[in-house]
Amino acid sequence: MPHKCTQCGREFEDGSTVILKGCPSCGGKKFLYIREAERHDDVLKEKTIDEIARDTGEDVLEVKPDRRNEEIEVFERIESIRILSPGSYELNIEKLARSDEVVVGLEKEGKYVVDILSMAKKKK
Amino acid sequence: MTFLVRTKKKISGFLRALFKKRTCRIGIYGPPNAGKTTLANRIVRDWVGDAVGPVSEVPHETRRVRRKEDITITGQNGNSITIDIVDTPGVTTKIDYNEFVEYGIEKEEAVKRAREATEGVAEAMHWLREDIDGVIYMLDATQDPFQQVNIMLVGIIESRKLPVLIVANKNDLPDASPARIKSAFPQHPVIAISSLEGINVEELYENMTSYFE
Repeated sequence: MPHKCTQCGREFEDGSTVILKGCPSCGGKKFLYIREAERHDDVLKEKTIDEIARDTGEDVLEVKPDRRNEEIEVFERIESIRILSPGSYELNIEKLARSDEVVVGLEKEGKYVVDILSMAKKKK
Repeated sequence: MTFLVRTKKKISGFLRALFKKRTCRIGIYGPPNAGKTTLANRIVRDWVGDAVGPVSEVPHETRRVRRKEDITITGQNGNSITIDIVDTPGVTTKIDYNEFVEYGIEKEEAVKRAREATEGVAEAMHWLREDIDGVIYMLDATQDPFQQVNIMLVGIIESRKLPVLIVANKNDLPDASPARIKSAFPQHPVIAISSLEGINVEELYENMTSYFE
C-alpha cells in the first residue's frame, strides 16, 4: 500500500525507502498507509490529512531516527573518564566535580572499569 | 613509629584548626593555555619573590596542582589579604596526544603527557570540591568565552557558592576582547589584564582583597 506523509501529504510508492529518513519534502516522520483508491484524496475531495487518517483507519507509521547515530551528550554519560585510545581521553568534568568516584569507559560504548575503592570511601 | 607520627600530625592539625583560621585558598582555574601559571607566577613573584612553576606555549604544561602558601596581597586602598594560591591544570573535556605531537613532542612522550593532563584535570576538580575557598577564573581574551567547558565549569563553581573573579587575560594582544567575556559572564566581575606584561594586575589585586574576604 502506498504511504502518505501526515504532515505535507506527499505520497510515496509502497516500499519506498526514501521515507526511512523522513519525508524528503517536509522532513515529517509520520506516514499513513493509504489504499490505491484513496490516493490524492486530500486534493480531489479536499479532505485534510487528519480526516483521511480517520477514514482509512490505517495505522500511522512513525519513522524513528536511528538511535545509534544520536550523539550521546558527554556529560550525561556514566563514566568520568573515557579512554578513546591510548593517549586520547574524554573527560566528564561534571562527574569529576561531583565526587571522586571513578568510572572509566573503554574504547567502545558499553565497556567500563569501575573503581570500587573510590566509591567505598566515606562521603564528607 | 608511623603511629606516633600520625598521632602527632593529627594533634598538630587539630590545634592548627582550633587556633588558626585557615588561610583563604584561591584556585586559579580555566581552560588550558589561558595563562594560569603565568598569573600565579606573577602574583607569587610580586608578593613573595618566588615562582610557582614553568610555563610554555604547549597546552597542559601544568599537569599537577601547585600551591604557594601564605601570600599577603595589599591593594592600593590599603586592604590586605593573606591567601594560598593554587595553580591548577587547565580543565578541558578532551585530551588527545596528537595535540602535543603537533608541538614537536615525541609520540611516547605525548601519550604520557596526555595521561598526566587527564589526571591533572581530575586532581583540579578534586581540589575544587574539597579545598578551594575562592576562584580566579582565567580566560584567554582572544578566544571565544562561550565554550561549553567554560560555561559548565563556572556553573559548577557557582553551584558550590564560591566567589569567582573572571580574568580576561592576554589583553596585550590586538585581537583580545574582554567585552566579549563580560557579556558571557555578566554575573561576575571581569578584570582585563595581561599577566605576561603585568598590565592592570594592580586592579586585580585590588579586587582580590575586597572580593575574597
